[in-house]
Amino acid sequence: MANSGEDFSQFEISKEEKDKLVAEVIRYILFKTHQNSGCAIKREELSQLVTKNYRHRSLPAFVINEAKDKLSTIFGYELRELQRSRPSSTNHARLSQQSGADAKSYVIISQLPAEVYRKYVEDVNTSHLTGFTFVVISIVHLAGGKIAEENLWHHLKRMGLHATDENHPVLGNVKQVVETLVQQRYLQKDKVIGPEGNTLFYELAERALDGPVCERIKQYISQIVKKDIATMDT
Amino acid sequence: MAVLNWKHHALIQSLLSRGPLKEKEFHSIFTGITGQNPGTHQEKFNDYLLKINRELSFVQLDLRACRDQYDGQVYYGVVNNVSDEQSKLGTRYSVPQIAFFKAIIEAIAQDVTAQGTISNIDALNIKLENQVLNSLGSQSQDGSLNVPAAFRNFTLSQKEKTLDQLVQDKWLCFTEDGNVGVGVRSILDLRSWFRNAEVPSCEVCNEAGLKAKLCPNEGCTVRIHQYCLKRRVCQRGVIVCPSCDTQWQYQPPKAEPIELEDEASGPTQSQPPSRSTQSQPPLRSRRKRQRLSQNDDAETAGCSSQAASQADSDMRRVTRSSARLR
Repeated sequence: MANSGEDFSQFEISKEEKDKLVAEVIRYILFKTHQNSGCAIKREELSQLVTKNYRHRSLPAFVINEAKDKLSTIFGYELRELQRSRPSSTNHARLSQQSGADAKSYVIISQLPAEVYRKYVEDVNTSHLTGFTFVVISIVHLAGGKIAEENLWHHLKRMGLHATDENHPVLGNVKQVVETLVQQRYLQKDKVIGPEGNTLFYELAERALDGPVCERIKQYISQIVKKDIATMDT
Repeated sequence: MAVLNWKHHALIQSLLSRGPLKEKEFHSIFTGITGQNPGTHQEKFNDYLLKINRELSFVQLDLRACRDQYDGQVYYGVVNNVSDEQSKLGTRYSVPQIAFFKAIIEAIAQDVTAQGTISNIDALNIKLENQVLNSLGSQSQDGSLNVPAAFRNFTLSQKEKTLDQLVQDKWLCFTEDGNVGVGVRSILDLRSWFRNAEVPSCEVCNEAGLKAKLCPNEGCTVRIHQYCLKRRVCQRGVIVCPSCDTQWQYQPPKAEPIELEDEASGPTQSQPPSRSTQSQPPLRSRRKRQRLSQNDDAETAGCSSQAASQADSDMRRVTRSSARLR
């Protein structure tokens, strides 16, 4: 690429230094993802890796872009950028002075075809969590994309999952798992100030609203619901 | 220009997502993805791994194989090569948990009898304060140790839970006799740590000899893994220490074909009269010091059969394996 030569001189760093930064960012993403089980990583954290030692203002963006590239070519992971699409709630307006760029966060998503992923990559030891994620997202979906906290638990209770349960044999602390879904950006929490006090609402967030994911969920739900309708008819 | 395609990516992601995999499993994934069996298409398999490692080196990671020291099985995993700030994040264990793990590994590594294990009780009795001692060296600030509260308050049940978690994550393992041993992940990841801790290496494969057979000569420091012993069996069917020429007792592994019954008749091997001058066994020159290649059963059966007439087939088998490495 003809541009790369100019890019380096623009940033005043050598190719080796640039490569080192890109590698650091990639490693940070991989290790952090493992540590926090797939919760989103803030762009700010990645930028810091660069600005720690280098002052040039557009260098972080350049490095992150190249890291995105390499994650795809080396690992087959997409570095998905999630932007907080809706402000979390009205009373946080004061705090949302962050510039648009900083509110971005990232997750890595496998680019493998679903069949391949399911057959070879998926870790069966975590399928209980994936299953739970699907159930919760479906409930919120069927509720129109937004559901009050107590309604959600009302439905989960029908499956034997209680908010107070800290020792569920499969999921452990169930409330904590729901909280993890928020951190992984499948759900987001909204506090709505109502006449009777504050109600906590769960809303579908970026990862659950992602195109392909949304489609598949709708398909699965309709499969399940069709089955129910059929048995009701007989 | 992409060097790796989705097939390479699938292999990498499967290891990253599922942790170290047994050779059989990894091979079957390879077969499923490429339609070719690594056993019959060794070149292609190696080519894939080579390509993958060239790319992974950009981020100081490595796809490598190792052997579980308790059952000799080969495992594949993606390993981190450099300990830097980023990799320190890559753990879900707390500081006292890591200290506990380190203490267990140290205890196993320092075992002069090369049993490769410590008992469950000993593991649970480990005092984390000693870990602090070790890291501070011999300095003692006004006589009192600065032991963090988390270390002092690390309860027995926390140790048990940590132990279970470490075994589940394959950093440690529970051996058949109920002891705690070094897990596959540790063997993959901690290679350089073992070297720095000066754990004696196996003479045959040059990997840390955590669980290994020691030379019967007490003055000799040679040790060899059980599964590596087969490679040192010479034409006459005995094992001789490479450094002190003492004869070793050789027990063929239990999973031997029936025609070798005369060897497996009892735990003690019959001792042929030892000769002071031993001719160099042909197998010794083929000792592989590189990364372990798969050791298929045919080769092991061939090596342990003692008849001289088998020597030719031994050589043939061994040369096949050397071809594999290229």
